[in-house]
Amino acid sequence: MGSNYLERVKVFSYNLISLTIFIILWFWVARWQASPFFASPAEIAQGFMQMVTVGDEEGITIFMHLWQSLIRVFSGFGAACVLGIPGGLALGLFPFIYNRTRIIIEPLRFISPIAWIPVAIVLLVGFTRYVFVIWVASFFPIFITTLWSVRNVNLIHINVARVAGASRWFVITRIIVPATLPYIAGGMRVSLGISWMCIVAAEMIGGEMVGIGRLILKSSMMHRMDLVVVGMLTIGILGYCLNEVFIKVEKRIFRWRAAVSID
Amino acid sequence: MEKELIDVDLSMKFDSLSVLENIRFKVHENEFLVIVGPSGCGKTTMARLLAGLQKPTSGHVTMRGESISPKVHNISIVFQEPSCIPWRTLWDDITMGLVIKGVDQSAIKKRAEEVIKLVGLDGFEEYFPKQLSGGMKQRVAIARAYATNPDLLLMDEPFGHLDAQTRYLMQIEIMRIWEKEKKTVVFITNNIEEAVYLATRIIVFSKLPARIKAEYRIELPRPRKLTTPEFLGVRSEVTEQCEVVER
Amino acid sequence: MEEKINREKYKTLGYNVLTLFLFLAIWTLAYWLIKSPFFPSPLMVFNAFLELLIHGDIEDVKLGMHIQQSLWRIFGGFAAACILGIPLGLLMGLYGRVYDSTKVLIEPIRFIPPVAWIPLVIVLLVGYFRFVFIIWLGAFFPIFIGTLLSVRGVNPLHIEVPKSFGASRFYIIRNIVLPSVLPEVLTSMRVGLGIAWECIMAAEMIGGERVGIGIMILKYAQLIRMDAIIVGIIVIGIIGFGLNEIFIFVEKRIFRWKEVVSI
Repeated sequence: MGSNYLERVKVFSYNLISLTIFIILWFWVARWQASPFFASPAEIAQGFMQMVTVGDEEGITIFMHLWQSLIRVFSGFGAACVLGIPGGLALGLFPFIYNRTRIIIEPLRFISPIAWIPVAIVLLVGFTRYVFVIWVASFFPIFITTLWSVRNVNLIHINVARVAGASRWFVITRIIVPATLPYIAGGMRVSLGISWMCIVAAEMIGGEMVGIGRLILKSSMMHRMDLVVVGMLTIGILGYCLNEVFIKVEKRIFRWRAAVSID
Repeated sequence: MEKELIDVDLSMKFDSLSVLENIRFKVHENEFLVIVGPSGCGKTTMARLLAGLQKPTSGHVTMRGESISPKVHNISIVFQEPSCIPWRTLWDDITMGLVIKGVDQSAIKKRAEEVIKLVGLDGFEEYFPKQLSGGMKQRVAIARAYATNPDLLLMDEPFGHLDAQTRYLMQIEIMRIWEKEKKTVVFITNNIEEAVYLATRIIVFSKLPARIKAEYRIELPRPRKLTTPEFLGVRSEVTEQCEVVER
Repeated sequence: MEEKINREKYKTLGYNVLTLFLFLAIWTLAYWLIKSPFFPSPLMVFNAFLELLIHGDIEDVKLGMHIQQSLWRIFGGFAAACILGIPLGLLMGLYGRVYDSTKVLIEPIRFIPPVAWIPLVIVLLVGYFRFVFIIWLGAFFPIFIGTLLSVRGVNPLHIEVPKSFGASRFYIIRNIVLPSVLPEVLTSMRVGLGIAWECIMAAEMIGGERVGIGIMILKYAQLIRMDAIIVGIIVIGIIGFGLNEIFIFVEKRIFRWKEVVSI
């Protein structure tokens, strides 16, 4: 117990040291390079302050960019959950449907969501464009993990219920669904990560005014490298936080499981 | 007559949890020493200390006067958990110790064939662990441990995961092997019947923190029968000391 | 018994072919009903495919050329990711201290989607290296983290066996750690390749090259030529699927010991 605590303090301080060394190195390289393309940490901090208070060249603050991106991600993600989870459950319970339509599902699955962006640009306008792209991106991981987890439910657990005279409905709601939930949550976490990547690409290609992806591309076109890095860091930190929150929730809800994977 | 091989005098703590307290005993050459104790009493820690895989918090484990270490001494250990290396064929697994010790090719071949026959696995040389049953896997582990002709053979509840039938057959087998190639064995178990069946000497550990509670010399003639009055007498005598085990 | 399994297989195959035909039929029917320039028929898509294959696109670049370029870029970046990611993952897995002490730097970078780097890379790099860098970023982290975690996941008992025989550190790394992590390294390479495939699409669309399967789709999106877009999407799906299958095939081939074979 005592040494465990000590170990944590140690790891924490080591991390602090590496961070400091990294920032000092960065400073040093930035001064040595003295290039407009290489922003120093101080410039980035200034850029961040500007983004918070004034906003970018068009007066849009970082919160507005983030807010837009988040709304798009979560709408698409929500749609993917609403369709993917019941769809996966259904095809998992009736495997013959999946087996007989594989020829269509499998190729669709391997089309990168980013390849759908041009389609979305042609067929859809505004908000629905992004929702569609995010939906495509997050649907398959959720759908496939759900399907797969239904097929891998421990047969013993099902048989225990069956022997006790349970109805099909009981088996589905009390055995299969709880057993698959942790996997579904894992699939959701994975697809949230993919969505986060796709929204950035979609915003860059789709040509909206507001959105964190747009902010990065716009700033890079104006050679405001400090703002580019601010945008990137914001995305990284937010993505990390979303992931952590998800893991925390998973750990909380599925306490009965032995362990939740780390990544 | 009895030559001392190993001298143990140690205490072991994990953080503030005391596991082994003032454990003091000797191991003599060619004896079959069995350590019995309730589960979770630090027997596995004892095995790891004897194998030199861990250092005691205080005290020492020495072999012929030198602090014990696998790099210096010729020790083998059979673990409780299945320990076959999944990507190695039975042959590669059994010869591992010999290769590490730097034995030359022809000697490796001869010795490996010998031990494989000894444990009755001939014909399975090219099999992977996945293709073997639980009992066979444990026999591979035993053969691997035997192959290097160790000065000390440690067995940490080696039959703990086997079913009663296999376990019984393995006990007969280990006795047959031991009588053929007299080795110094330290065998750890929580099964008193097994202990009395195998041992020349038994050391009884108490529950946590473990101390030595009693010591018995077993002089029943071999092969021992589990049902003779003499056997049952010794067995109940040991059992009384370990009341914790058989609740 | 075997005959029955075979029959079942043929039956599934038959149903799959039937589903495909049904799908095409519905598609054609929808085309007749909708009659929109945004909705081509399967035949039009097939014609566009032939045209792209034989005559090339509007700039006379043939489909094969686009595919070749994209694959060549992926190859460069993916190879770089493997060369750096696998040894670094092994190293940090073996010396856990290093990773634990620099986590604060690695984690946020890991969570910046590779796509977000594209604008920065456009400013800083030119030509082929742009793509190599982006692909490298995309594939590096899955490979690196996968390798690292797999080293940490080596069964400690498998290490103690040779240790108890007095084996050297080198022997243990070569004979226990490496073979034990290899399957997981290969799996993470497969994941990395999948992400690389996503990134190349985005990079080509944003990076403004002339040749590449991603830019081909975007070119036709600007012309609102849905038939050619669909050709591109299908090609992307098939290549992604093919790359994945190759990896799975190799994995199954090499790791015979992983398969469950009972006597």
